[in-house]
Amino acid sequence: MSLFSRFMDGWRKYRKPGYYDEFDYHWTMTIDLDKCTGCEACVTACQAENNIPVVGEDEMAKGREMQWIRIERYWEGEYPNAKLSFIPMMCQHCDAAPCETVCPVGATYHNQDGLNAQIYNRCIGTRACAVYCPYEVRYFNYYDHEWDSPLEQQLNPDVTVRGKGVMEKCTFCIQRIRQAKDVAKDDDRRRVQDGEMQPACVQTCPTKALVFGDRKDHESQVYKSMNDPRNYRVLDELNTDSSVFYLKKVDA
Amino acid sequence: MTTETFKLGYNDIHDDVVRSIVKTGPKYYITLATAGSVTLLCFFFPWFYQLYYGIGAAGMNHPGVWGTYLASFIFWIGLSHSGTLLSCVLHLTNSSWRKAMYRSAEAMTLFSLVVAATYVMVHVGRPWFIHWAVPYPNQMELWPNFRSPLLFDVMAIATYITGSTIFIYMGSIPDFAAVRDRTSGWRNTMYTLLSLGWRGTDKEWHRLHWAYTFLAVLIIPLAVSVHSIVSWDFAMSIVPSLHQTIFAPYFVVGAIYSGTAGIVTVMFVLRKTMGFEQYITKLHFDNLGKLLLVLSLIWTYINGVELFTAWYSGTSEEYEALGYKLFGYYAWLYWEMILFCAVAPMLMFSTRFRTSFVPMLILSIAINIGMYTERFLIVATSLSRQYLPDAWGVYVPSLVEISIMVGSFALFTTLFLIFVKIFPSVSMYEVKETMATPKMEPAAPAAGSPA
Amino acid sequence: MTSNVIGLFHDPESALTAAGRLKGAGFESLEIMSPLPIHGVEKVLGKKKSVIKNFTFMGALIGGISGFALAAGTAIAWPHPVGGRPIITMPPFLIITYELTILFGILATVLGFFISSRLPAFRNRVYVPESAVDKFVVTAPCDDAEHFKRAEAILNDAGAEQVREIGESDL
Repeated sequence: MSLFSRFMDGWRKYRKPGYYDEFDYHWTMTIDLDKCTGCEACVTACQAENNIPVVGEDEMAKGREMQWIRIERYWEGEYPNAKLSFIPMMCQHCDAAPCETVCPVGATYHNQDGLNAQIYNRCIGTRACAVYCPYEVRYFNYYDHEWDSPLEQQLNPDVTVRGKGVMEKCTFCIQRIRQAKDVAKDDDRRRVQDGEMQPACVQTCPTKALVFGDRKDHESQVYKSMNDPRNYRVLDELNTDSSVFYLKKVDA
Repeated sequence: MTTETFKLGYNDIHDDVVRSIVKTGPKYYITLATAGSVTLLCFFFPWFYQLYYGIGAAGMNHPGVWGTYLASFIFWIGLSHSGTLLSCVLHLTNSSWRKAMYRSAEAMTLFSLVVAATYVMVHVGRPWFIHWAVPYPNQMELWPNFRSPLLFDVMAIATYITGSTIFIYMGSIPDFAAVRDRTSGWRNTMYTLLSLGWRGTDKEWHRLHWAYTFLAVLIIPLAVSVHSIVSWDFAMSIVPSLHQTIFAPYFVVGAIYSGTAGIVTVMFVLRKTMGFEQYITKLHFDNLGKLLLVLSLIWTYINGVELFTAWYSGTSEEYEALGYKLFGYYAWLYWEMILFCAVAPMLMFSTRFRTSFVPMLILSIAINIGMYTERFLIVATSLSRQYLPDAWGVYVPSLVEISIMVGSFALFTTLFLIFVKIFPSVSMYEVKETMATPKMEPAAPAAGSPA
Repeated sequence: MTSNVIGLFHDPESALTAAGRLKGAGFESLEIMSPLPIHGVEKVLGKKKSVIKNFTFMGALIGGISGFALAAGTAIAWPHPVGGRPIITMPPFLIITYELTILFGILATVLGFFISSRLPAFRNRVYVPESAVDKFVVTAPCDDAEHFKRAEAILNDAGAEQVREIGESDL
């Protein structure tokens, strides 16, 4: 095909918003705030699974914490009638993600699983994505992190260790998704079944507040829970079309 | 018309300008050495430290991922805006008072842009991969993301640097030729190459005039677009208090404002140090003062609109951001900015103020301090108060950042000092144009004439 | 023997008069060298047209087309799904188009200037250094000595401060 006809084909095809190929999977997570106890087990699991550095006290004081999933705490009222509410917050894998459009080099993009992917190798560290993200879930490597012995022994070999000057964020444990897809492919090219893989946070959650799965599989647990009447999405009014659904905590 | 230059002949200008290039006193070398070493110590050394250590050497943190580096980048881009833009507008409107000052104003544009481009390298986390933001063909078929406002920046600034370099160079060709004939040695070789064999024939003047006019016509919309695009880096986000349509005109006006103030400063210094008292006169300060006054009023108005829009939106995020800006952690900087950029310029209503050199110098510096604060506040206050209160935070610049900021001024000065010894810093042929043309004299018959 | 007659004038008026008279006397390829652009040259030496505007226009046009082709073409060559936006996203691509229009316009203007003014020219040409300072110079090539005499007379008559001869060998 000549260059020009290729251009014209694209011209006819590509001028409408949206994704031009169906996603293979549409990974989704729901978080039941009624079940969440705020134990932060997910935070620790994530830290261990994804080689997230421990920045230490000094850096923490400077506000340079690295937590792909964090528990946000909000206090209402004054002591003694204070009420604490909390909400786990991680990358929402928005389908209309503000962070993706702003990257000048295309280091963050939407992949075939409906995930908001971050390419560490391509990142030049403009940090514009972190500004554009309304959820503030993108974390920047301000320097080369080190793992004190023996912590370096537990680094996950499936996950890159990010160097200085690179943006990072929750990937929905893409290494596990990839592995599950490989297994499924070897196994007669079937689709990944519900419950076959779970991100580290979901796997760890003691109260099963976090549910993960493929939204396209209407039998899946996540499809049922995301259609729960209590469901809402954080900052939905910004039309980010996020893939993380929260189930509202019903006050007793 | 500048009345004072009437007294001078064409030859005097020539001598003055050539002297400013060729005669170099110890004062110049001392200044150059100071500026150069401050650049090295305050700009490059901390920067190399930061390259080695990581961006962590600066004070950026989790909500405040952008900091003074970006503020300085906008500041320098802004400062670049009065040179070439002003020069183009005045060229097209045939304002003769431009002629004595525009060369140094354009040089300011160029060097501000160079410093701004350097700041991009300082700002990003991995500057050694900065070329990925440039669209060049590669075997991976990887291209930059043309939807990103940051990439618009890359394209716009690349075009702007190219455009202003060409503009200042084109305007200098006749002057290079004039200096070429007066110099010897390596300077002669350099000016011969730079002047491209210019002879000043009627044809060459005609072509230069048209080329220069077309360039001016192209550069005005370019300069306006550059700062609009810089503003879209912010306005295209959905961060409360940044997501505003007023941002493009706001930035453009702010840029011209700080740029004009910068010109006043540079004019003052050039006038004092290079002995150009006869070419840069009260008239220039008066005119620039009027321009500054108008710009300050527009700037104040747009600031009001910005606050009003935030209030009128009625959303809690905007309210929070607005309150934080006016009364929060950075509030004292906000009111300082209002004092320097909106209140103090009112002094320029008085003609006596506009035509006094030292007060204008002080005011122009104050305006630029205020404008730097403005850029810093745009970055710092908005990032501190975004949607999720859990991610609220405060960003304070580190020593490395402050040092690099000081160093960037030294870098600018160094570049400018080198410039004044290479470029004729006053456009000779255009100053000659402002003077009375020699009138016909009763021709004394030349010896041996057949008449 | 061909040589060039050079007349140095103190003021543009008399230089123009001299040029007019030389032209009237049948001299061709006259050139006026001056330290600043002088007004009224076109009345004496005829109106000039430059091709620069064509260069600017074509450059801007090519820049616009190639700017859009660059943005849209690379987007099509590797569809890069980003934020649910169209692959060919018009508003941002038009900004790229705009910038490249100006960039190519500027570069083409410079090219047009160089071509139409025959610069850069580092070969030796007729030149009088004083013309860069404060003298207005009229030059014309002369075929022979008699020709030169006539030109000299005209120049002196118009009030030349000095008349010189620059032969081929002097260049």
